[in-house]
Amino acid sequence: MSAAQSAAPARSLSRLAAIREAAPHPTRWRHVVGYMLAVYRREWQGSVFSAFIEPLIVLAGLGIGLGVLVGDKAAAITGGVSYVAYIAPALMASSAMNLGAGEAAWPILARVAWVRIYHAIIATPLNAADVMVGAIAFIVGKVAFAATFFAAVLLITGITTSPGGAVGMIAVSILTAFAFAAPIVAFSVTQKTDQGFAFIFRLIITPLAFFSGTYFPIENLPGPAQLLSWCTPLAHAVALSRSFALGTPLTLGWLHILALLLWGLCGTVAAIYLFRRRMLK
Amino acid sequence: MTNSAAEPTALIRARGLTKAFGARTAVAGIDFDVRDGEFFGFLGPNGAGKTTTMRMIAGVSPRTSGTLEIFGEDPDLHGSAIRGRIGVVHQQETLDMELSVRENLLVFGRFFGMDRASIASRADELLELFQLSDRAKDQVEPLSGGMKRRLSIARSLIATPRILMLDEPTTGLDPQARHLLWDALQRLKRGGTTIVLTTHYMDEAEQLCDRLVVMDQAKIVAEGSPRQLISEHASREVLELRFPNGTDSIDAAILDGIGDRYERLAERVIIGCENGEAAHARALAHGLNPESWLVRRSSLEDVFLRLTGRSLDE
Repeated sequence: MSAAQSAAPARSLSRLAAIREAAPHPTRWRHVVGYMLAVYRREWQGSVFSAFIEPLIVLAGLGIGLGVLVGDKAAAITGGVSYVAYIAPALMASSAMNLGAGEAAWPILARVAWVRIYHAIIATPLNAADVMVGAIAFIVGKVAFAATFFAAVLLITGITTSPGGAVGMIAVSILTAFAFAAPIVAFSVTQKTDQGFAFIFRLIITPLAFFSGTYFPIENLPGPAQLLSWCTPLAHAVALSRSFALGTPLTLGWLHILALLLWGLCGTVAAIYLFRRRMLK
Repeated sequence: MTNSAAEPTALIRARGLTKAFGARTAVAGIDFDVRDGEFFGFLGPNGAGKTTTMRMIAGVSPRTSGTLEIFGEDPDLHGSAIRGRIGVVHQQETLDMELSVRENLLVFGRFFGMDRASIASRADELLELFQLSDRAKDQVEPLSGGMKRRLSIARSLIATPRILMLDEPTTGLDPQARHLLWDALQRLKRGGTTIVLTTHYMDEAEQLCDRLVVMDQAKIVAEGSPRQLISEHASREVLELRFPNGTDSIDAAILDGIGDRYERLAERVIIGCENGEAAHARALAHGLNPESWLVRRSSLEDVFLRLTGRSLDE
């Protein structure tokens, strides 16, 4: 009995050490970001189009083209602003989703399954959790960079007039990237081939861009579809982004922020768990 | 740690080390010590449990039971600190193909918490040592297999580890690249690095290892220096007789009379003996008619055959 009592503190100490070994280190993940930046310096040209140009083409095409079609009816939907001003903040959020999701798919799978650099990284002082936190942080940073560019274009063209609103939209894009990148990283680290990504992108990401209040108010959807929409991150991101851009008040705005944060945090925890399960056999 | 006082030079110490994957036991209760400064080998066929043992030492595979200490610490509890003093070279390449040769080293040094200036000077030193300086700015993808393997080893040495662990380092390399790598490893060993390697090539184990354990089916079946193992488990010479039509029909009583012991493989009979020429003469006298024959000194291959009844490449 007394032996068991004296062993108890030692056991709980070693349990603490084991948890510390598995948890992300407060700062080491930044070296994973550093590694990704080194790779990015070599291949950034390849991503300029998808990150910077494509969202602007969509904005020009839909905002101007569809805007003419919507014409005078726009005011009834948008509450007074032009159609392009209405969809611009939503497009910014949905391109944060696209970029964040894309970066969380192939580049992650490549490193876990094809070039296997992650196997080398977890053999250093970094652990599996540091790799996941660093990988997600890099994606969020990359989206922040692209979002800043997009917001600057909106300000310069006068589509968005409030600099404060633009800063708010960038913050929303960062949260959006987190909310999508983390769960998709968690999915990617379980995959052996890229076939699963077709499912993610065709059945989830692409439809979300249409049914999250991006091009028309979410209230136009039938009731159950509205509910479904609010269960995904993009609807919250669009509501927040638009509220910042147009300066319209948002009831329970912090709930939208909380929803995005929850998606990101749960995704990160899942990514760490699944990545450990794959790597630490 | 209490045992480190008794055995101050054991850098790695395993007792009853076991790893099970569900119902399959990959490593079944093995004991070994790796001493400071030695070249230690795990020799065995594929699937013997060598890689799993290496992964447990490297702290990326939690053991099922038994004790394991590296630098006197438990890798389950102090993995990060232990990994900081170990260099690991995986069996498959794990280099970043998009970065340059030198960038692969620079990025890696940061994982060990080194500052940029010391990483840069260490990287150049390693590129020189592994004869990669003239490829420093090239991308990794087009390098030859031997160069990639040298770069992997250079990368694992960036933080000047106490222990270097290599999993099948020369598999898939041509003979020239193998010898180049062996030379580099011998130099490192002379420089004081403790090296642990797995291999299924006996010539590699014989050439490089001060001490080795022979693994088969998740267990250690023998331990010692290559010379010790050969003198303990094999006779001085070996006579190999080749029978392309199979060896099943040969009378065991005849084989018993030729040498000290024999192993019957599908198309070969391997006879351990003091004098191979004399044994060959006895074989012919007994009426055996092999298609070809040869006499050689015993090797680790014969040790393995003796201990397991199987050949390493089977």
